[in-house]
Amino acid sequence: MPPVTTPPDLLVLHGLRVVGFCGLERLAEATGLSHEDVESELIDLAVSGLVTRVPGPFGGWGPTEAGRAADAERVSAELDRAGARDLAADTHEAFEELNAEALDLCGAWQLRPLDGVVTANDHTDAAYDARVLEALADLELRTADVCAELALALPRFGRYRVRLARALERARAGELDQVADGTDSFHTVWSQLHEDLLATLGIPR
Amino acid sequence: MSPDARWTRPLTVDEAGTPELLGAKAHGLVGLLRLGLPVPAAFVVTTEACRVFLASGAFPAGLDAELDTALARLESVTGRTFGGSGRGLTVSARSERELPGPANSGRDLPGSVRSEWDLPGSLRSEWDLPGSLRSKRDLPGSLRSERDLPGSLRSERGLTVSVRSGASVSMPGMMDTVLGLGTGADPRAELRAAIRAVFTSWHAPRARTYRTLHGVPHDLGTAVVVQVMVDGDRDGHSGAGVAFGRDPNSGAPGPYGEVLFERRGDAVVSGGSDTLPLNDLALREPGVWTDLTRALTLIEGDLRDAPYAEFTFESGRLWLLQARPGRFTGAAAVRVAVDLVEEGALTREEALLRVAPAHLERVRTPRVVLAPGVEPLARGIGAVPGVVTGRAATTCAAAVRMAAEGPVVLVRPETSPMDMSGLAAAAGVITERGGPVSHAAVVARPLGRPAVVGVGAHTLTDGDVVTVDGTAGLVVAGRPEVTTEATLPHLRRLLTWADEISGEGPDLPEVERLRAAHRFLERP
Repeated sequence: MPPVTTPPDLLVLHGLRVVGFCGLERLAEATGLSHEDVESELIDLAVSGLVTRVPGPFGGWGPTEAGRAADAERVSAELDRAGARDLAADTHEAFEELNAEALDLCGAWQLRPLDGVVTANDHTDAAYDARVLEALADLELRTADVCAELALALPRFGRYRVRLARALERARAGELDQVADGTDSFHTVWSQLHEDLLATLGIPR
Repeated sequence: MSPDARWTRPLTVDEAGTPELLGAKAHGLVGLLRLGLPVPAAFVVTTEACRVFLASGAFPAGLDAELDTALARLESVTGRTFGGSGRGLTVSARSERELPGPANSGRDLPGSVRSEWDLPGSLRSEWDLPGSLRSKRDLPGSLRSERDLPGSLRSERGLTVSVRSGASVSMPGMMDTVLGLGTGADPRAELRAAIRAVFTSWHAPRARTYRTLHGVPHDLGTAVVVQVMVDGDRDGHSGAGVAFGRDPNSGAPGPYGEVLFERRGDAVVSGGSDTLPLNDLALREPGVWTDLTRALTLIEGDLRDAPYAEFTFESGRLWLLQARPGRFTGAAAVRVAVDLVEEGALTREEALLRVAPAHLERVRTPRVVLAPGVEPLARGIGAVPGVVTGRAATTCAAAVRMAAEGPVVLVRPETSPMDMSGLAAAAGVITERGGPVSHAAVVARPLGRPAVVGVGAHTLTDGDVVTVDGTAGLVVAGRPEVTTEATLPHLRRLLTWADEISGEGPDLPEVERLRAAHRFLERP
């Protein structure tokens, strides 16, 4: 079966479904589309009543109830068009195994035992940090393997590989907030991949 | 047990095996037996057997026969038949391993199982940390969860089988535990399959990663404890709980913990059940309470530290399943060390060495002071320390809206990327499910939002004013008293001892006074 490329309007709608309330910048990063394209799709989606903009300091663009329903229907239909439902289910099952490990590692990045006391990792022990990053890199490779087939069938899943690898690359270059803090950190992207698998398969949390 | 047993050991008072051979848990159980405390009959399959299995993919020669011998002993001790009808003998298989600690405080005690995620002060155990559920496909197909069984089968003794992920090991949640074996068509084969599953789980990728991170060798292997099941859900005089010998939040004397009646131990620690304060046991099962408090006193005397114990009571009879030091932190660690000196259990020097500098750094973290008789609205795992009061918001939309008018506490079943706006807007976080590395905890930590996760069922609705204590794992109605100084008298005493030993003075920062004493006490 040939790969099914997600059209830009669904990429943006589904991006909001997976990322949550956010601005143009983050949506562009998540979807790989340009700011202009994201903005133009958002306007059309807003006109159709599928997305809305919440004002205020913690606001941003988000899907409406109708938008969530439309997204669920469209990603489900897309999954069937790609003939990838069983594949996605297998991918999800394998991902759940990796998920526990990913959370362990994000936790180990933030906290470590010091004299028997669980303490915030102050990142002064370069060797410890390097061990965590190495383990994350190994996990990322295994995750890429797990998701490779699904990314062939549904190319939008290939974007996570790029984003996860980039977060780790930046973390290795010294940007410590790229592991578990930032809006484009490894942990953030990882949890979006998790959410995407659940949303695509229509599995409630 | 036959004298030529090579791969298995019965757990008896005479067992002299090391934690490296038996695993820390089995070793700790032997300690309990020596104190004369009730421990369900058990045998251990040693780490040596595991290493042979991991190297060859098969049980070592002779283990099969030894398992039958060891089972026969359990049968003769209990007078029941493994796999028999009626109230047959059922056993559990648990993985077990003593971890050499990479960050050892130098006070490692026999039977202690240290881990990063075992957060003292939170009532969760190594039995079953949230987030540790592994896929059932790893396990033999003949094993089914207890919940899958029709109620009529469940009520017949000997027919319950549950399969759970690891825990009860120093790599909590990483390895398999299989409960309630002995009910299927071929119980002996199931037992072997369960032991194999536990052995195999040593090499699960997650377990490997954990070991790599914490400098634990990959070739140690795990022991397996095979133990007679005691049923906390057997009747109205049965239940299970966890208990500390002292309050893990404050260090104050007196038992502290949680109990569930007519439920098994895994329900206590899963976070999904409404547990009762341990004191309820005194009212409902005074005999069990008396035995438990006596046991805690004995264990504390043996450990010379505030203990932690997991227990089950079956038809009014107490059984201990695990005990180890409580591993208190911060203010509680200071208070217990000082109190134990005044009770004559420790020397001042020992007490000073019990308190790590890291404890002092969090002695002044704000804490809720519960007024007498006040029960918290909910208890969970303290995931991010600190105290905050705010209005509860049960959706992110409400949190974002209400945050404009004052501090908000986000209350969610669990969080996902969809909750990021709410997490950013909130001053504190509560989740029903999840553990210290759940999404909510990982996100709240760098934001510095006090967080309590895994509180289970609650009745909070939008607008309720609540206070979150992210150290103790408490959710309290309204604005309770908050203190940063609960332990000051104890702290002053400890630091005076430190000065006497080091010759330094009170002009130094507190942590430096403690460090100076440690340097003096630890010199070669």
